[in-house]
Amino acid sequence: MSETPEKPFVPDEPTVSRKFWIALWLTCGVSVLLELLVPRHVHFESSDSAFASATNGFGFYVALGFLACSSAILLAKGLGLLLKAKENYYDDTP
Amino acid sequence: MTLLNSIPPGLILILGAIVLLLLPATARKAGAIALAALGFYAISQLEDGEQLFPTLLGFKLTLLRVDATSKAFGYIFTLCAFAAFIFSWHEKSRAENTAALVYVGSALGVVFAGDMITWYVCWELMAIASTFLILARKTEKSLKAAQRYILVHLAGGLILLTGILLAIQATGSIAFTSKVLTQNEMAKYFILLGILINAAAVPFSSWLPDAYPESTIMGGIFLSAYTTKTAVYTLIRGFPGEELLIPIGCVMTLYGIIYALLENDMRRILAYSIINQVGFMVCGVGIGTNLAIAGVVAHAFCHIIYKALLWMSAGAVLYRTGKSKCTELGGLYKTMPITMVLGTIGALSISSVPLTSGFVSKTLIVAAAEQQHYLWVWLVLEIASAGVFLHAGIKFPYFVFFNVDRGLRPKEAPKPMLIGMGLLAFLCIYLGCHPTPLYDILPFDPGESKTFSAIYVDHFANVVTMFQLLAFSALAFFVFLPLLKRTPTISIDFDWFYRKGAKWFFWMADKSLNSLNAAADKYVIKTFLPALTRFALVAPAALTAMVLKPVWRAMDPDEARLTKRRDELVAKFTTGTFPIAYSAACVLIILSLLVLIGRTAD
Repeated sequence: MSETPEKPFVPDEPTVSRKFWIALWLTCGVSVLLELLVPRHVHFESSDSAFASATNGFGFYVALGFLACSSAILLAKGLGLLLKAKENYYDDTP
Repeated sequence: MTLLNSIPPGLILILGAIVLLLLPATARKAGAIALAALGFYAISQLEDGEQLFPTLLGFKLTLLRVDATSKAFGYIFTLCAFAAFIFSWHEKSRAENTAALVYVGSALGVVFAGDMITWYVCWELMAIASTFLILARKTEKSLKAAQRYILVHLAGGLILLTGILLAIQATGSIAFTSKVLTQNEMAKYFILLGILINAAAVPFSSWLPDAYPESTIMGGIFLSAYTTKTAVYTLIRGFPGEELLIPIGCVMTLYGIIYALLENDMRRILAYSIINQVGFMVCGVGIGTNLAIAGVVAHAFCHIIYKALLWMSAGAVLYRTGKSKCTELGGLYKTMPITMVLGTIGALSISSVPLTSGFVSKTLIVAAAEQQHYLWVWLVLEIASAGVFLHAGIKFPYFVFFNVDRGLRPKEAPKPMLIGMGLLAFLCIYLGCHPTPLYDILPFDPGESKTFSAIYVDHFANVVTMFQLLAFSALAFFVFLPLLKRTPTISIDFDWFYRKGAKWFFWMADKSLNSLNAAADKYVIKTFLPALTRFALVAPAALTAMVLKPVWRAMDPDEARLTKRRDELVAKFTTGTFPIAYSAACVLIILSLLVLIGRTAD
């Protein structure tokens, strides 16, 4: 149903525009600034453990979001070396 | 409406499906939408309590058990079916329409079942009906996927049946309650395993991303909603507070993210995302407090809406382009902007973006972990929340609607599809801004924060932290975008064990057992046994000749005649025609030997 299916193959190099980068950094910046203005909800008593106190620290969610996602991407990339297979890998099996 | 008050809602859909079979296409499609609406209305008319007790094999069944939990699941099951049937107006297949109605009807049967027999029968009916939604794609891949799907579910069903029979034997009761299900230890684990297979718990999860993406466009929407969520419902019924479910749920949330990141097929990304989301629910059931269970029901409710919406948007893309791989899609926002906007609303909802339904449901489960001071569980759920945004919130819409323009210029999705998606997208935002109607139907009160102002103004700090989590997840996505470049590959999952592993096992069994067979034939059958036969024939003759030789020599010392006598004796032994006197002599010798041995032993 596409009108131009014969169009030459476009290499899959994901690109993001400069404007988008600016908007993204601004959003991140605003989210950090907001934490300065709004007192954080205490999740776990700081006396429980060092990590529990870290969860209440400034920028915890900033670090969590970035580190968790970066690790997930890197882990997936690493596992991909092991787990990725050609699309016809299972073709000869029922 | 006393009639609707006492009919199991599932039966309305199943009987309706049979009637609709006789009607022409348009009436059939309209009828399916009407049946879903009627089912929803019938559920709203049900009063709490148990009723309808027919007897089967001496057991008193309970076809209708109504309480807040079953009603909440009933509402969302019929609501989702209503939108999905509108979306699927293009679908003329009689089989698909019927299979979908029976599938939804049997899922409702599980939800309102008050006994284990009714539950089990509906459970199996669901497996059978749902298989037709995969078969209806009518491709070789879908046929094979459907075969594997039904085999896994039949195996799961048998494990569940074993557990149910053990539970009935141990308790003498068929009641579908936590007490009966968990009283006998062995029954409990069989039942739990049977349910967890349907919940797609790791490592019994790969049937889901294997089968769902091979289903039809309509089938994918239905499949995404019912099997795993009825499993969650049965876990709520049978195993609230079962701590084993907490690590299982946590693993599911993370596994779903990693595999979704590896995937290239857009519907397979969404399939892995189901496992991730069900992981939150399984974990919530494991936490088991009132807040956690309320959170699980709320999350199942919202999840069904946004997940169906995501499957619809993927279905609309598949319908218009015939493609579902990220390496072949991209730039569709230009010609399918409405589908893009609606799909993105689903993507934002699954990511728990404030003002969407995911934000008001998932946060309840996370809060329950926090309330119980489960620091590590809480941390995993927060990490998984960030990961959801990564794979479903950004990756799915980005690679399908943006990324590289591959020159695809499909038309916008047809109107019925847009209406179906629009309805669910509206609910995503409506429930996100005004969750009170949802919170009011939950089995437990989720606390004081029920209104818009309580959630978004009084607890603005939670909005900020979620905003931070998501913003920096998005940042990580775009920073590492080159690493996320799609490849035309599949990912090896646990189904390897029965797709490749089983084949290798067969090969190994073939090689090892058949070579053992050949060796046995060569050495035992062809060499050892003939030798044994020869020995059995010759040995007695040789032994007798040895005994008789001195006698013969004494009678006639001629060597030539001695040899002749010996040969004659051997010939007689081998043909079995030697005289009785020889036999008597042998018997006498053996008896004498025995007597001698006996004496010596004394």
